[in-house]
Amino acid sequence: MSIPWRGVIRRILSMLGTLLGVAVFVFIMLRAIPGNQITAGLGTEAAALTPEQRAALEAYYGIDKPLLGQFFTWIGNVLTGNLGFSSRSQVSVLSLTLNALPVTFELAVLSIVLALLIGIPLGMLSASKPDSPRDAIGQLIGLAGLSVPSFLLASALLTILSAKFGFNPNGEAYATLTEDPVRNLRQMLLPSLTLGFGIAAPIMRTTRTALLEVRSQDFVRTARAKGVGMRRLQVRHILGNALVPIVTITGLQFGYLLGGAVVVEQIFSLPGIGRQVLIGIQGKEYAVVQSTVLVIALLFVVVNLLTDILYRIIDPRVRAE
Amino acid sequence: MTRGSRLTRGSLSLIGLGLAFAMAVSGCSSSTAGGVATSTAPKVGGNLVVGITTDPDNLYPWKATQFQAVNVLQTLYGTLTEFDKDLNVVPGLAESWTYSSDNLTVTMKLRQGVKFADGSTFSSKDVKFSLDKIKDKTTAAVAASSLASVTSVEATDANTVTLKLSAPDAALLANLASINMAILASNATEEALKTTPNGTGPFVLKERKPSQSITVARNTAYWGDKTPLDSVEFRIIPDETSIVSAMQSNNVQLAVLNDPLVAKTAQGGSLTVTKTPQLSYHVLQLNASRGVLSDVNVRLAMQCAIDRQQVLDTAALGEGEVTGPITSPAYKSDPASRPCPTRDLAKAADYLAKAGKSGGVTIKTIVSQGEYATSVAEAQNLKAQLADAKITLDLEVLASNAYVDRWVAADFDAAVALNGGRPDPDGMYGRYFTSTGNLNKVAGYSSPELDSLFAAGRQSSDPATRKATYSKISDNLEANAAWIWLFTGYTYTAASAKVSGYIPMANASVQYLRSTSLG
Amino acid sequence: MTVEMLVDTPPRGGQRLRLLLHSRSGMAGLVVVCLLLIVAVAQAVGLLGYNPLTQVPGIRLQGPTAAHWFGTDQFGRDVFSRVAAGVANTARIALVAVGAAALVGTLLGVVAGFFLKGPDAVISGVTNVLFAFPPLLLALSLASVMERNWFTVAVAIAIVYVPIFIRVARGPVMSLRGIEYVRAAISSGQSRLMIMLRHVLPNITSIVIVQVSLSLSWAVLTEASLSFLGLGTPPPAPSLGSMIYEARTLVYVAPWTMIAPGVVVVLLVVGLNLLGDGLRDAFDPRKRGT
Repeated sequence: MSIPWRGVIRRILSMLGTLLGVAVFVFIMLRAIPGNQITAGLGTEAAALTPEQRAALEAYYGIDKPLLGQFFTWIGNVLTGNLGFSSRSQVSVLSLTLNALPVTFELAVLSIVLALLIGIPLGMLSASKPDSPRDAIGQLIGLAGLSVPSFLLASALLTILSAKFGFNPNGEAYATLTEDPVRNLRQMLLPSLTLGFGIAAPIMRTTRTALLEVRSQDFVRTARAKGVGMRRLQVRHILGNALVPIVTITGLQFGYLLGGAVVVEQIFSLPGIGRQVLIGIQGKEYAVVQSTVLVIALLFVVVNLLTDILYRIIDPRVRAE
Repeated sequence: MTRGSRLTRGSLSLIGLGLAFAMAVSGCSSSTAGGVATSTAPKVGGNLVVGITTDPDNLYPWKATQFQAVNVLQTLYGTLTEFDKDLNVVPGLAESWTYSSDNLTVTMKLRQGVKFADGSTFSSKDVKFSLDKIKDKTTAAVAASSLASVTSVEATDANTVTLKLSAPDAALLANLASINMAILASNATEEALKTTPNGTGPFVLKERKPSQSITVARNTAYWGDKTPLDSVEFRIIPDETSIVSAMQSNNVQLAVLNDPLVAKTAQGGSLTVTKTPQLSYHVLQLNASRGVLSDVNVRLAMQCAIDRQQVLDTAALGEGEVTGPITSPAYKSDPASRPCPTRDLAKAADYLAKAGKSGGVTIKTIVSQGEYATSVAEAQNLKAQLADAKITLDLEVLASNAYVDRWVAADFDAAVALNGGRPDPDGMYGRYFTSTGNLNKVAGYSSPELDSLFAAGRQSSDPATRKATYSKISDNLEANAAWIWLFTGYTYTAASAKVSGYIPMANASVQYLRSTSLG
Repeated sequence: MTVEMLVDTPPRGGQRLRLLLHSRSGMAGLVVVCLLLIVAVAQAVGLLGYNPLTQVPGIRLQGPTAAHWFGTDQFGRDVFSRVAAGVANTARIALVAVGAAALVGTLLGVVAGFFLKGPDAVISGVTNVLFAFPPLLLALSLASVMERNWFTVAVAIAIVYVPIFIRVARGPVMSLRGIEYVRAAISSGQSRLMIMLRHVLPNITSIVIVQVSLSLSWAVLTEASLSFLGLGTPPPAPSLGSMIYEARTLVYVAPWTMIAPGVVVVLLVVGLNLLGDGLRDAFDPRKRGT
């Protein structure tokens, strides 16, 4: 197994360039939002500030310095591991992010696991007899997952289950996986079900297409002629070869999940990274939003890189090149 | 069985019966007006979970304005004076006070034996430090203007403070009760306090998890009655509907809701919902310094074209009361005391004609979205009503940040707003409607009459005189249609059956958490 | 899709249309979308008789009746017309957003793929930066920056989808450059613009059309999610997302306030997805010629 090192290094360099672009983009975008930390912090009371008070506050928030200076100070800090400080929460952005990231990460992983558990069997069901009622049902469920907005599903689940059955683990204080695994998993159940259902469809479709494609190939027909059972073939050979596109699409969904999780985190009050960005935007906390978005972009880019490498490793056709 | 034991058993059972009877009687006490059912002996212990929709954004008392931040701070810090449940000024850290005969000197005797959370003793030097710092412009304290009349603060001895005033200020004692006037230790710095609060309140900070919760625990060194609860956890649940869900599954026991619709869904089952009229008021602010609105006739035309009850019914489902400018119970305005107590389109047309605008006028109006539940619905109804009088409201719906920006800069003709109220009318409107008030630009209106009336209001502390003065101010504001006051709403306090001793207040203070008990 | 497949069988419009009509899912999708659009247009021109903004507190929270097919909401507004107006609003935003993204993205992708070197480096760099953001997060940040009205929401969504169109167009264009008759055209001195218009664009229209239909359904979902978070279409203009948000408090008292916009938004997205599937089948070169 040879990993094309030159290609990887080139990718990493272009990745860094992209991240710099992301940093500039986010920095400019945030400064364009109306208002600043003073009005975000004081609301309408900011009208009562005298010029001296206003100047004092501007110095305090560091927004009286020229923009370019603010940008380079921020970048310099990030490179040394200082992501800034959140005056709302009175902790460093690094600490906030380190607490929030595992939540979203766990949510994303559980969602993908559920999506695979739903999507692959459905795909196998559909592919076993194409254009039959079984196929139609599989495709319909997949379509529903694709079309029902996550916020609708989440709202419906939460309202119905909590009022009719009193089931609302998300009303309790959030527990991390290490603190209280049982409570944590109960709190992750509905959110990951919601998100997982949404991304099950692309996985289902990819499985179905891949299975159908592989089935028609020569080596499968030979094996069947020799009398090998369909079930064994499916699981060992067909699924093995169909793994490639499934892995690719799963990697792609991760990015969608990082962003799409913000709505689900809001509804189920999960203290994840999506909510952190939302709260930062509303509170006009430049430091929080800039650094958090940078971290998310970094993660996303790294995941894409890893998916790419994985893809090259397991795809026999690419390996042969 | 000996005679002795039979007697003992008999007397014991008699005592037992008596006790049971007494307990049954006391347990049957019904809910007091505006409060939750109380029993004679509050149960000690337990962690009360209060649902809030967002993280407190600032734990420095002198700069906090956000609703949630103020609530948490009210549990941690103390002030010189306080309000009781009827909004009367009562002693706090100051046990008593006396005025000099010319009302220019206030001598306050401070409570003794009070400790800060870090163990240091409270004394007059802390009061001097706090009041001086609040007045200092570089501190950028929100309540600075409330001390405008104070020229000096002296710590005459360890337990006495003397304030010298430039002019009589009858509103001073009420203003001192705001949490923005919290007394801090003389070694306090903003940086330190934001992470480690150090106050004299009934609770101390126990734990803080950003975006999740903030927990305060009983202050065993508190100067007053120790709170029955072991701790209070303010849990962050981003929206009110989810809070109600959490209450129905008994994860949250107390919450203050602002949306009347959500409050309706909370009712029923084991939850009680208490409605409390608020001091804050819904208003259509007019900027009389701009354009067509500088003509009082145009403003009066608008006043006459609006049926305030209809706005209340349509936008807030009738949950509230029509109001005049002053909302605090002691000085409440008569809502009918204005040129047009009810809608009168004929009069509106008259006024427009007097202004020479019979063809109609257009007013650019800003509305916030997301700040509070009813803003846009109010704006829509106002627009519809005014259209009948040929007055066009050109609505601009803005997200909170953009709206606050424009409001603060007074960059509007009209604004649909929900402004905070205060128990003292001078605290409420002095900043807005006097020519030197720091919010006068936003208010857009002032006059020499109002200036002298406000000064008069501060002069005398005689309640009857003050009431008459503020009544005149209220009439003046309505007669000139400086703004168009609409209605006051309610806050809804939802509590589970186990909560007792909590009294919601009209100024939205949660100070009665200190007397709340669970179970 | 390899270049041979693109260039071998010159695409013919009539053939594609027939294939689309034969695809069951495609037809179903087309029918659903058209139905919804017709109702939306009817509302927009006032044929439905109710103003979605008019508040009539006296008839609040009434269930579906002959007068109000979907009942009334908490302000007495007719839910049917609000839903129809919501569809119109969402459709307008989605069409503008995806149309703009397709136009700008395809153009930039063609330029990048055709001219390579400098322009390609710049355009690909920008594409990578935009791709580094999770889509909803990017839309959310952009929407909170701009003054809120339907147009800025559309612009925000357009910016999120431009990179996809750039990438979709760029690849095939790069391959096309190497084809013999294109190379011949370049060396014979034909203007680059003519070459792009005559040889390149027609060959990528099929891919772009399929991408457009995919992006439309995502755009509808994104707009609904933004409105749900309070960052999309500002009230009182009805939006399916904000209607669902408000209905959360009403769902026990008046379930129709959530069922109506919920079902409609799902129908709209399902219709667009099915249509997209049908289009993809119609344009799939492997099915051509059968």
